[in-house]
Amino acid sequence: MSINIPSFILALIAFVILYLLLNKYAFGPLFSIMEKRRELVMSQMNEAAQTRDQAVAYVEEQKKALEAARKEAYEIIEQSKQTSSKQADQLMAQAKEEAARIKEEAVRDIASEKNKAVQELRNEVGAVSVKIASKLLEKEVSSEGVQEELVDQYLKEVGGRP
Amino acid sequence: MHESPIIELGGIPIDLSIVLMLIVTCVIVFVIAKLATRNLSVENPGKLQNFMEWAVEFVQNLISSTMDWKKGKHFLSLGLTFIMFIFVANLLGLPFGIVTDYHGAEHAHIFGKEIVSVKEAFEKNPELEEVGVAWWKSPTADASVTMALALIVFLLSHFLGITKNTKNYFKHYFQPYWFFFPINVIEQFAKLLTQGMRLFGNIFAGEVLISVLLKLTALGAAGWVASALGLVVWQGFSIFVGAIQAFVFTILTMVYISQMIESHDEH
Repeated sequence: MSINIPSFILALIAFVILYLLLNKYAFGPLFSIMEKRRELVMSQMNEAAQTRDQAVAYVEEQKKALEAARKEAYEIIEQSKQTSSKQADQLMAQAKEEAARIKEEAVRDIASEKNKAVQELRNEVGAVSVKIASKLLEKEVSSEGVQEELVDQYLKEVGGRP
Repeated sequence: MHESPIIELGGIPIDLSIVLMLIVTCVIVFVIAKLATRNLSVENPGKLQNFMEWAVEFVQNLISSTMDWKKGKHFLSLGLTFIMFIFVANLLGLPFGIVTDYHGAEHAHIFGKEIVSVKEAFEKNPELEEVGVAWWKSPTADASVTMALALIVFLLSHFLGITKNTKNYFKHYFQPYWFFFPINVIEQFAKLLTQGMRLFGNIFAGEVLISVLLKLTALGAAGWVASALGLVVWQGFSIFVGAIQAFVFTILTMVYISQMIESHDEH
């Protein structure tokens, strides 16, 4: 083994030249491309994370909206239930009132009709009785007023015990 | 062993095989890197780009394992160049070799210059019949090249230590006590020496064993079989060693740099 000084210097020069050439024409561009790729991957990952966050927020929002809608629907149902039952109660009360009124009216009508009938009947019976009595007792009954009073009294007794 | 083809150019002894192999290695590394980064794409990287990015990430992990990535990212290109250069250089000597044999000093000429090393070999031992000159070998099987690489690391790490971490750099020579100064200085040069010599030794030994295995063929048919079997096993192992040494050299580079630029105040 021996060190040949010119070889030594040549190797030094050759290596330095190779280094400079590689650095300029091969590695420099390669490193910048690798850096670019790294940045690209990073930006894409950031983007993906952002999109995921957005999606999560969106889902959360949707969930809230859904919850609100459900609540509202429940409230509406509850309200309508209440209204309907109130209405039914009202209708029922109205109907009852109406029925009571009609019944009362009917009762009153019946009573008045009856009174009217009774009155009529009494009048008629009185008149008829007087006629019969006058026909029978044409001569005997002279003073009309006295006789009529007598008949009325009699008939009152009859009407009091129907 | 084979001689190196050394010629003298204006009085300077130049090893042509080293020149050749350095150029070949640099060209191969540059072509691979350039092909891999030819059609760069963020979204749809090609196979070669993927491979290159794998290598980049490998070196990134290697750097992050030794120092803070914020400080270490400046050495990514350096680490990649080291690992690719050394790996390619280690493997170049494996598949084949180019050896020329010279039967006498007067035949050893190239580009009109005489090959000094061959002449010297004949002068030293006049009985020699022929001298083989190896033209194709791993550049890292030469101590000059590996020591040059180690020197780059040495100079770079000390330069960074002095400029970026001045106080700690000078303080660490006197730790834990002032009289440790000589030991600390020796340690720095030991680092330089071991880093270069480790690489050289591994690859050189690999090539020596390959040439020894090739010489087995002189034993006849059995020698050919043994040689072929041995070469298959040893070449496979040498690929492994080449990769490991490239890795070791690079990680040591990062460790040495981190030792120089990391301050130990925070402990």
